[in-house]
Amino acid sequence: MGQGLDQTCRHTQNPDTGPVAWQRACHQCDLLLTRAHAPVGQSLLCPRCGASLHRNMDRSVAQTAALSLCGLLLFIPTATLPLLEFSLFSFGAENTLMNGVQALFAAGYIWLASIVLFCSVLAPLGKFLLLGFICWGSGWASMAGPVARALRWYHHLQEWGMLDVYMLGILVALVKMSDLGKMTVEPGLYCFVAMMVVASATSVSFDAETIWARLARRRAQSDAAERNQEEDTV
Amino acid sequence: MNRPARALSHGFWTCLGCRQLVRVSPQTQSCLCPRCGARMHGRIESSLMLTWALTITGALLLIPANILPVMTVIYLGAGEPSTIIGGALELYQNGLWGIALIVFVASIAVPVMKLVGLVILCLIVQWRLNVAPRQAMRVYRVVNAIGRWSLLDLFMISILVALVDMGAIAEVEAGAGSTAFATVVVVTMFAVRAFDPRLVWDVYEARLQASTAVKNKTHRETE
Repeated sequence: MGQGLDQTCRHTQNPDTGPVAWQRACHQCDLLLTRAHAPVGQSLLCPRCGASLHRNMDRSVAQTAALSLCGLLLFIPTATLPLLEFSLFSFGAENTLMNGVQALFAAGYIWLASIVLFCSVLAPLGKFLLLGFICWGSGWASMAGPVARALRWYHHLQEWGMLDVYMLGILVALVKMSDLGKMTVEPGLYCFVAMMVVASATSVSFDAETIWARLARRRAQSDAAERNQEEDTV
Repeated sequence: MNRPARALSHGFWTCLGCRQLVRVSPQTQSCLCPRCGARMHGRIESSLMLTWALTITGALLLIPANILPVMTVIYLGAGEPSTIIGGALELYQNGLWGIALIVFVASIAVPVMKLVGLVILCLIVQWRLNVAPRQAMRVYRVVNAIGRWSLLDLFMISILVALVDMGAIAEVEAGAGSTAFATVVVVTMFAVRAFDPRLVWDVYEARLQASTAVKNKTHRETE
């Protein structure tokens, strides 16, 4: 951190020393930097505007792969088990991740139901799937194309996964209705909380730059292998 | 005086998909990122116009979102439809002021703050206001971070609709206001996405350049 600023200033003070190897520009203020990556375990901040440019987590790929697999497994009980139960006199109703969306669909609120479905189910699920695929696929040079596409989709999907907001929604619903009837927490909610924590941990541990570096390395390896083969045949 | 080097004036673009630095020729209008294949521009295309359009749409939709009821709780056949503000007030009157505060912040304060923040950012770029860019960036980051939390109310409604469904005894129904409110949240999230914060720095650099040019001129004249 801060190193970028020193180098930038040095360059601007001596413009005659020739072209500088610019590595990165801040995506929020367009400042050119001579450094592209943070050292392992640290993050690179823009020296001028303070934007977080790169966070280099130790063992990012392995951790992200493990966490996204864990999230996918947790998704199964979360989606099938009930989250909350509400009982009034002798009547009771349960809430699962999907039946709120179904009820809204049935009531004709299609747009609202789609947004809720997308933000609370599809986007988090898609994020886990994409990250799992990215981490796994980046090990093969031949998967470079699909992995690049998956990274782009992940970038667009990132902010639409709202498990944490949904969690707060559950809490508000829990408190709001507690004076009307009896609210009970069901096992699905514990799975949901675990999935939410795993989802945040996954997005923190993921680092796209590591994936790009890995893809470049694999491509170089396969190119070298091809060259060797050609030499052998000659 | 030398200013810190900026990508666009040095012939570089940054891919917003993968943040790769790419050297481009001066005539290029747009190209594909060599690393991730996303379409690239020097700045987000027609960023200011798009942000204005989406912000104004959001502001207009905020009116029906607050006037129309978002939810009706029917208990033993009786129930008044409640608006967003009504829901928060009701929680406060029931003594649940903590939850009332959460609902107030998420569904009233956040959308309003977000729209005000977006208007401020657009005005800074549009009128080339003399604002410290770091302050503007702080506004941008707050607007960016808080946006998604306003969906809280809608998630709560979707949970309650499924949960409290006992026919004549107790029932929760969604209202037309919730659709408008959901659209406000989505539209403003797109508006933040469409805004390019680098425009704020472009304005700042342009102003600095202009002032140094004036200074140099007066300096030469006095000599």
